[in-house]
Amino acid sequence: MTDYIFGGRREGEVPRTHEGRNPRDVSHLASQRLGVPVAWWGIAMLVASEATLMFTFIGTYYYLRSKTPVWPPVGDPEPHVVVPLILAGVLATTSLPMQLASMAARAGRLVATRRLIVLALIVQCGYISYEMWDYQHELQTTTPSHDAYESIYYVLLGADHGHVWIGILLNVWLLAKLGRGLTMYRLNATIAVTWYWHFVNLLTLFVIGTLTSATLL
Amino acid sequence: MATVELPARERVERLEQMWQGKPGILGWLTTTDHKKIGLLYFWTTLVFFAAGGAEALTMRTQLAHANNNVVGPATYDELFTMHGVTMIFFFIIPMTTGAFGNYLIPLLIGARDMAFPRMNALSYWIFLTSGLFLYIGFATGNGPNGAWFGFTPLTERAFSPTRAEDFYTLALIFNGISSSLGSANFIVTMFKLRAPGMSFNRMPTFCYAFLAASFGLLFALPVLTADCIYLYLDRIVGTHFFDPAHGGSVLLWQHLFWIFGHPEVYILIVPAFGIATSIIPAMTQRKLVAYPLVAIAELLVVFIGFGVWAHHMYTTGLPTIQVVFFGAATAMVVIPSSIQVFSWCMSMVTGRARFKTPLLFIAGFIWMFVNGGLTGIMFVSIPFDQQVHDTYFVIAHFHYIIFGAAVFPIFGGMYYWFPKVTGKLYLERPGQISFWLIFVGTNLLFFPMYIVGLLGMPRQIYTYPGNMGWTAYNLAETIGGFLTAFGILVCVGNLLVSYLRGLPSGPDPWLGPTLEWATSSPPPEYNFAVIPTVTSAYPNWDPEDREEDVRKLADGVMVLEEGHEQPVVTTADGNFSEVIEMPHSSPWPPTLGLCLGLVFTFLVLEKFFVAGIFGALCLLSLVGWHAKEPQEA
Repeated sequence: MTDYIFGGRREGEVPRTHEGRNPRDVSHLASQRLGVPVAWWGIAMLVASEATLMFTFIGTYYYLRSKTPVWPPVGDPEPHVVVPLILAGVLATTSLPMQLASMAARAGRLVATRRLIVLALIVQCGYISYEMWDYQHELQTTTPSHDAYESIYYVLLGADHGHVWIGILLNVWLLAKLGRGLTMYRLNATIAVTWYWHFVNLLTLFVIGTLTSATLL
Repeated sequence: MATVELPARERVERLEQMWQGKPGILGWLTTTDHKKIGLLYFWTTLVFFAAGGAEALTMRTQLAHANNNVVGPATYDELFTMHGVTMIFFFIIPMTTGAFGNYLIPLLIGARDMAFPRMNALSYWIFLTSGLFLYIGFATGNGPNGAWFGFTPLTERAFSPTRAEDFYTLALIFNGISSSLGSANFIVTMFKLRAPGMSFNRMPTFCYAFLAASFGLLFALPVLTADCIYLYLDRIVGTHFFDPAHGGSVLLWQHLFWIFGHPEVYILIVPAFGIATSIIPAMTQRKLVAYPLVAIAELLVVFIGFGVWAHHMYTTGLPTIQVVFFGAATAMVVIPSSIQVFSWCMSMVTGRARFKTPLLFIAGFIWMFVNGGLTGIMFVSIPFDQQVHDTYFVIAHFHYIIFGAAVFPIFGGMYYWFPKVTGKLYLERPGQISFWLIFVGTNLLFFPMYIVGLLGMPRQIYTYPGNMGWTAYNLAETIGGFLTAFGILVCVGNLLVSYLRGLPSGPDPWLGPTLEWATSSPPPEYNFAVIPTVTSAYPNWDPEDREEDVRKLADGVMVLEEGHEQPVVTTADGNFSEVIEMPHSSPWPPTLGLCLGLVFTFLVLEKFFVAGIFGALCLLSLVGWHAKEPQEA
């Protein structure tokens, strides 16, 4: 029988996802895999699309700003700077436990994976709780229909909050999945959700940086 | 020999059993098979094409004579808006990427399905419901009427108080979700699911074209989505994005729309380039001239397309430096376009060209593309652009590109891959007649538009006085329009009759170079009994590799019959990385598509609470979707 080799590997030497149904097998199969999983590319495409949408919002902010002599326009309150920037920084630190969770899952350490995601989730929930309260509070003084500045302010901030909410829901779903053990499918999901959070955290820094620039610059 | 063949047959039977979908309508509703989804796209887009064509013919009938009154001005506004939106968003893109891309790309790269089969099904169901959503608006007297580019302030609530523009904005956002999902799926499929050995430099040029279109959609559509969100909020919430009196900008709409809109033109035609680069090698029996340059040119066309948007805005008072920059960028598109035209022509001249119907359509496409391209280059001359802005000259150029360059290859591709999809040969003589009818009809339809445009006839007018010297040209255009429609009917009729009575085609009637011709016609649900060996960009012209496939089947290598198995490779080199388990059929994609449709319906009705309830149902559908992992199916 012919010895068939595909890029230096025989068919039998290549990992099969359906064989990864416990942490030890998952860890072994993940180490045999070349390059990133299909799920990573899937989330990369989602992030590319979402990043384009969000940077269109940010581009709109600066476009409208370039057409307005005073920014924020007269009559609009200046945005807060210190608390939003600190909170965005705190949210950005959740990239660390998420990345560690991803690495722990790859190493087959299921309990550590769950704990790290819970840790990140607590911080993320704290962030969004304050931000939602603040958003409601701001709506009592100004509204998106006041002028173009307020329109883009609320759309940009609201869209960013939407991304944080989606990330939180993904983490809750991931924890529910990991509660039933580790499979290759769940490892891939952990990697994908981690990268989604890296994107959301970076995005939040850009969004808060843009909005606070009205006061700072 | 017999002892070797028996296990091979058993393996094939096992594959058939493993990949068999549900029977009947339930099977079509829950399918995740890329071929079935491709066919669903095909038939649905044909219906939308018929609707868009009927709208066009009604307009041509109205314009056949001066002072005609077949339809009034309000209806005419709806007709040209619906025609544009339908043909661009609900015919050409879903026909090329949805139908051709879905059916063919996994076959061309030696895969068994798309990277995300359920997401693939979801993109179809969203496409269908978004189309129904738009046409429900039209049928209920809320057809969009602000042209396909929906310029503000005309489309703001102050000037368009009905729900028509709400249907427009929400339909485009809704449809954009479908196209974004589809394009992400194509990119990942081509990056990761190629047969081991198919490195990037061995990937068919058809795939490069679809890769370029997918990247274009992925980065262009969010800009349109943002624009439509602003317009929807301006209309419903009372924001001021496009209201200069409150710090907004009318031109913001145009900038964002054309940042999307011009790449969109290339997104529409690049898949057609891919179809041409598939048909030409098969019909000339020679490798494509300058394959690497053509692959790069396909990507470059879309890339440069992102830097030319403001040439649609020369009459809006942009600063001269911007106008000059965008003029120069527009001129750059000539370079990758010309590389491809020379490659197609030289391949035909130096090969043994068989001018069967598919190649006739490609030859017609080259004529139309060069014609539309040459008049497009005229827009680089800024004073000329300003002079013919909003005249029929622009309509002529646009339709030479969109109908001539995008739709001709679609017809060519329908004939070319008909034997693969149906297992039958089409009737050659009626096929050639349909080509000549369509070719003469479209030129008669669109060429006089250049002349009336230069004579000053503006676009989007529902009638005109008899003393302008435009009547004869308009009558000729109308005759051309009906001739084209007749040609299309002959084409569809031919394919239907051939499907019912055609001779068996066998797996490879054209001696084609790519992998879809290496499997049976129509292909089985698992596409390939053995994941094919690939050592060149023309794998079906490598007989040793195809013989090796037969030996591999006998030896049980790369049959992957333990489940819905699919090999995954490294992105650039195509080295064998892992074997993944693909999902089976699923009820969740149509469920989610329906729930999303209801979300958008209640958004247009401004029933936000009910829309929220259906939004929650969407989330529950996603939970159901992921409840069962592929390896548990």
